[in-house]
Amino acid sequence: MYSIKEPTVTIMGLGNILLMDEGVGVHTVNAFQERYSVPDYVEIIDGGAAGLDLLPFIDGRQKLLMIDAVNFDREPGYIDILENEAIPAKFSTKTSLHHLGLLDVLSIVKLSDTSPKDICIIGIQPKSMELGLDMTPEIWDKVNTLVERMVSKLQEWNVPCALRSPLK
Amino acid sequence: MNAQFIRNLMITAHGVHDHIVHFYHLAALDWVDIVSALKADPKKTSQLAESLSSWDQNSAKHFKEVQEKLKTFVSSGQLGIYANGYWGHPAMKLSPEVNLLATSHYLQALHFQRRINMVVSILGGKTPHIQNLAVGGVANAINPDNQSTLNMERLYYIKTLIDEVGSFVKNAMLVDVAAVAAFYADWTGYGKGVTNYLSAPDLPMDTKGTVFALPGGYIANGDLASFTPIKSFNDEYFKNGVKESIKHSWYKGDWNKHPWDETTDPNYTGMQYDDKYSWVKAPTFYGKPAQVGPLANVLCMYAAGHAGTKKYVGDMLATISSLAKTKVGPAALHSTIGRIGARAIRCAVLYDELTTQWNALVANIGKGDVKTFNAPVFPSGEIRGVGFHEAPRGILSHWSVIKNGKIKNYQCVVPSTWNASPRNGDSAPGPYEASLVGTPLADPEKPLEVLRTVHSFDPCLACAIHMVDAKGNDIVKVKAL
Repeated sequence: MYSIKEPTVTIMGLGNILLMDEGVGVHTVNAFQERYSVPDYVEIIDGGAAGLDLLPFIDGRQKLLMIDAVNFDREPGYIDILENEAIPAKFSTKTSLHHLGLLDVLSIVKLSDTSPKDICIIGIQPKSMELGLDMTPEIWDKVNTLVERMVSKLQEWNVPCALRSPLK
Repeated sequence: MNAQFIRNLMITAHGVHDHIVHFYHLAALDWVDIVSALKADPKKTSQLAESLSSWDQNSAKHFKEVQEKLKTFVSSGQLGIYANGYWGHPAMKLSPEVNLLATSHYLQALHFQRRINMVVSILGGKTPHIQNLAVGGVANAINPDNQSTLNMERLYYIKTLIDEVGSFVKNAMLVDVAAVAAFYADWTGYGKGVTNYLSAPDLPMDTKGTVFALPGGYIANGDLASFTPIKSFNDEYFKNGVKESIKHSWYKGDWNKHPWDETTDPNYTGMQYDDKYSWVKAPTFYGKPAQVGPLANVLCMYAAGHAGTKKYVGDMLATISSLAKTKVGPAALHSTIGRIGARAIRCAVLYDELTTQWNALVANIGKGDVKTFNAPVFPSGEIRGVGFHEAPRGILSHWSVIKNGKIKNYQCVVPSTWNASPRNGDSAPGPYEASLVGTPLADPEKPLEVLRTVHSFDPCLACAIHMVDAKGNDIVKVKAL
C-alpha cells in the first residue's frame, strides 16, 4: 500500500473460506504464493467475499487474474477459464453472493473507463459449499492444476513467475 | 487516551466513507436516472452546478466527458448492475441536467470514499475487518522516531487524506442531497414510520466514557422537547431500557427479555404473517419500537444543541427551500427524504470531527504520551456489561455476561435489528414496516417507491437479499400487504 509505484497487475483469490470449496480461490492463491514469487508490479490479494472494497485493487490496473469457484453445471473439479466479455454474462447468473459484489465493481470500473484491459477468471466447479473450514479432497486435488493454470496465464501476459527455493 | 483518539478517528473516517457510499452508490440510483443523463446539455448542467456550489469539478467540459463515458458504456449493452435500474420509471423526476450532475458526482465519489477509507486502513491495518482493536486499547505502537510505527509521517499522511475529502462532502454531497430533496419535495410526506428516535453519544473525549464529542439519547413521538440524553457508558437509563421480543421471530418460545437474560435458539416455522415471520428480533426502548440511524442521531444532536449539527440542518433546509421555492422546515425530516438528508448532515458533522480528533491525538502525543494500551483485569464472579457506539446505521450495543473469566452470554442488538424489527410483543410494527404504510406506487410491478424508503434506512442486509436464479431472473418477489 505504501509502494511508490502502483501495481499494474492484480492476482485475486475470491471466496469465503468458511464455506468449504467456496474458498478455493483463496486457498489456490496461497498455494501459488508459497511456490512462486512475482515482480513488484504484481499485487496478490485475498479478495474474500468483499464487494466494493475490492475497487482500489481493480480500478486502473492493466491486468486482473481471479481464481474462484464457479458453477459451470459440470462435475466437481471441472476447470475452465473465463475472459473479458464472457465474465459478466456468466456471473450475472450465479447464486454466490460475492459474484454480485464483484460484478458491481467490474461494472463500476467499466462505467468509469478505468477497467483492466485483460480480465481473466480461472474457475472451478465446487463440490460442497456447506459450512466448514476445509475443502473436499476432490477440490484439494485440483489446487496444483489451478496453480499451473495461473502460471501459464501469467506467462501469456509476460509476467515472470520464479519458483521459490525449496531450501528457504 | 491515545487509543481513544485513534478509535475516534477510525469511527469518523469509516462513517464518512460509509455515508458517501450509501448516498451515491447504494441509494442515489433510486432517484437519479443515469440513462436520462445522456440527454442533458453539459453547458446547462455546469451553469446549474455552479449556481448551487463552489465545487471545482463542475465544468461543462467535465460533464461532456462524463456523458461520453456514459454513452460508450450504455451502447456496449453490458450494463451489469445498472441493467436492473428503474430507468425511465414514471417516479423518476429529475431533469436530464440534474441526472448528469449526480452521475458525475457518483463517479467522483468512488475516489473520495476510497481516500477517506485509507485512514481506517492505515490505523486499523486493513479494512473492512480492522485488526488493531484490543480490550484496553489499540495495537498501534506510537514512536515518532521509528519508521515502522505510527509516527509523524503517517499522521500527516492521514491529515492529507482528511483535507482532500472535505470539499467533496461540503460542496458536492450536501448540495446534491439538498437538490434531490428539493426536486422530490413530495417525499418529505412519505416514509415517516416510527418517530421514537434512539441514538448513542459517541467519540469519548476522556478515558472513562463520560465526556463525548457528539451527544445522543432518546426522543419520544418525534417531539424534540422530550429529548433525554444518554450521559455515559454506565448510563442506567439506557441500560435498563432495552428489551427484545421474539413473539414474531423464529426463535423458541415467546418472551420479552433484557439482552443479558436472552437466549438465541433458532426455530424456523415457516412464513406465518400473523405469527412468526422474521429472523430479526424485536427490540424496544421502554416498551416502544424506536428508529435508529443518522436521522435519529441528527435529531438527538439537534435537540441537545450541538452547534455543527444545527448549522448543517439549517443550511440544508435553506438550500432545499430555495430550490423548491417553498419554505421547508425541520418537520420535513420525519420522512424518507429526511433520512437521506440527515445522513449527509451527519457525514459533514463527522467530517469536522476528523480534524478535531486528529488535533487531539497529535496534541496528546506532543505532551510526550505515547501509550496506547492499559492491560485489563477481569474480576472474578459474574459480571454484566454493555458497550455501545453510534455506527453508520445507528446505535449498536453489545451485551455480555462474563462468569469467572468466560463468556456466559453475548447478545448484539444492532442498528438494522431496530429498524427491520418485526412486530413486537405488543404487535406494534417496527420502523421499516410502519414507514411503508401509505406509500403510493406509480407501477406496482416496479415498486421503486418501496425501495426508496427501505434504502433510506441503509439496511445492513446486502448479503441476505440478493438471490438470482440460473437464468439471471430476479426471484425476489415483493408482496403488497
